[in-house]
Amino acid sequence: MMELRKTLAGRITLTAIATVILLFLALPIVVILVTSFSNNAFAAFPPDSWTLGWYKALFADGSKWPAALTLSAFVACLSTVFSLIIGVTAATALTRSELPLRSAVYALVLGPLLIPQIVTALGLFLLFEPAAMLGSPIAIALGHTVLASPIAVLILIATLRGIDERLEDAAASMGASRLTIARRITFPLAAPGMIAAAIFSFITSFDEFYISQFLSSVDTVTLPVQVYNSLTFDIDPSVTAISAILIAFAILALALVALVRWLGSGRQNSLLSVENTAGIAAPGGETV
Amino acid sequence: MAALTATAPARPRKLLASRKTRVGILYALPVVVYLLVLFVYPIFTTLFLSLKNADGSLTLHWYAEALTGVNLSVLITTLRISAETALLSLVFGFLLANAISRLKPLWAALAMLIVVVPHFISALVRTYGWIILLGDKGLVNETLGAMSVPGAPFRLLYNELGVVIGTTSMMLPYTVLLLYGVMRGVDRRLLAAASSMGAGRVTIFRRIYLPLVAPGLASAGLLSFILSLGYYITPALMGGPNQTMIATLINQQVTKENQWNGAAAQGVILLLLTFAGLLLVKLVSSLGASRKKRSAS
Repeated sequence: MMELRKTLAGRITLTAIATVILLFLALPIVVILVTSFSNNAFAAFPPDSWTLGWYKALFADGSKWPAALTLSAFVACLSTVFSLIIGVTAATALTRSELPLRSAVYALVLGPLLIPQIVTALGLFLLFEPAAMLGSPIAIALGHTVLASPIAVLILIATLRGIDERLEDAAASMGASRLTIARRITFPLAAPGMIAAAIFSFITSFDEFYISQFLSSVDTVTLPVQVYNSLTFDIDPSVTAISAILIAFAILALALVALVRWLGSGRQNSLLSVENTAGIAAPGGETV
Repeated sequence: MAALTATAPARPRKLLASRKTRVGILYALPVVVYLLVLFVYPIFTTLFLSLKNADGSLTLHWYAEALTGVNLSVLITTLRISAETALLSLVFGFLLANAISRLKPLWAALAMLIVVVPHFISALVRTYGWIILLGDKGLVNETLGAMSVPGAPFRLLYNELGVVIGTTSMMLPYTVLLLYGVMRGVDRRLLAAASSMGAGRVTIFRRIYLPLVAPGLASAGLLSFILSLGYYITPALMGGPNQTMIATLINQQVTKENQWNGAAAQGVILLLLTFAGLLLVKLVSSLGASRKKRSAS
């Protein structure tokens, strides 16, 4: 194939531009990771001396962080379960059945991802306030599920589309029951996608700020709300440490998704000679 | 079922189809019911609240209030900051996506990793990173000072510059991903063909490349504009009083002033602006599709 000739000057400019913009994306994250080990948590970069003090301060007596962390983890677990139930059923309906008004259902699923989160949060506030459910972890989890379940649905649709239906048909032709097919064929092949959906639902809920902010009370403050409060009201230097933990957590979760996909990618190919990996995209690619 | 198949070969097919429909409806129920109750119904509640007087009669009072005085200037600020953010993330996104699309596969994958990973890290955390970086004694000002740039240290926080830097870095992953996809789809042979017929680099870029990626550019710009409209965290933490955006106002009215009707009216205005933007995105993409069809035939 013919290509445009590349000049040396052109190449250098290209690399320089890419490096500067990539730095622009990566620096805010790197700076937190480094500063969290610095003796002076607010300024002076690179740090003069190192410490683990901010991490220890997180779990000192009277610290608000453990409670916020526990609440966020609890809420995220609940909304992961809700999102998976909704995700599996909805993705099955949208890929494996004849559904009237399919595009309307699809639009409804995409809605929460397109509409400003502050509007969704305001609506949920108006729903839960009269029910006296403000500050209830259940209400926060139900709210987070509105944002997390569409992501789960999209990932699982991609997963189910990537599974060759002929495998299910073949099992049926050999007399396997519907339950057996689901248990022995579909579930093992869909497992990597389900784990990915669970991880992304968890992250979505764990990092969610708007809905938590509107639905929280004095006693139920999720981690992001606590981070926001300590950045606006009481400047608490240990916020750097918790931010670094959140970064590490997100990177770990993404690595886990990539690992699961990599482990799962070989499974179907050993069953089918025809390559069919349409649904197995790069990690995270389908959520955007 | 087996017996049915034996006696009437024509019927099971139809039966199977209707069964498939019934199963589909059954499986679609959870998501539909859930989102109708917790997403669609609350939005309608917001809409009704924005149209209701204290005595229950219908009124446009809250909209009139949302579109006058301080509230109007907040709305204009929101539109301005969103436009600036969209423009910058479009320019940077274009440059980066273009650079990545020409890199070797391994480097391109690494670069895309740096683009995608931040997207999954809490916006709150990334905003905090910018606050550390852009302070009077932050890395940026220290570096500029060390290079003895005149005027350093600059004031980079708690003004519009700070907000736009922050929001641009939040929107950049979207534009890069969108544009990268579009640029990968450009047939390089078209550029080579133009070159072989003697077109210069500038001409190729202007006459061939730009028209091919234009619909992608428009959608990416519009998308980052829409997403910026409802943004709250970065403007609230990195801006000053003059950078109050509509989401901040909604939040204040609900949590501090108990002014739900006003907040609802502003929420609906934000929603309408978003819908208008989405409609434009759709228009642009259908325009792009028809153009592609034309150039292919």
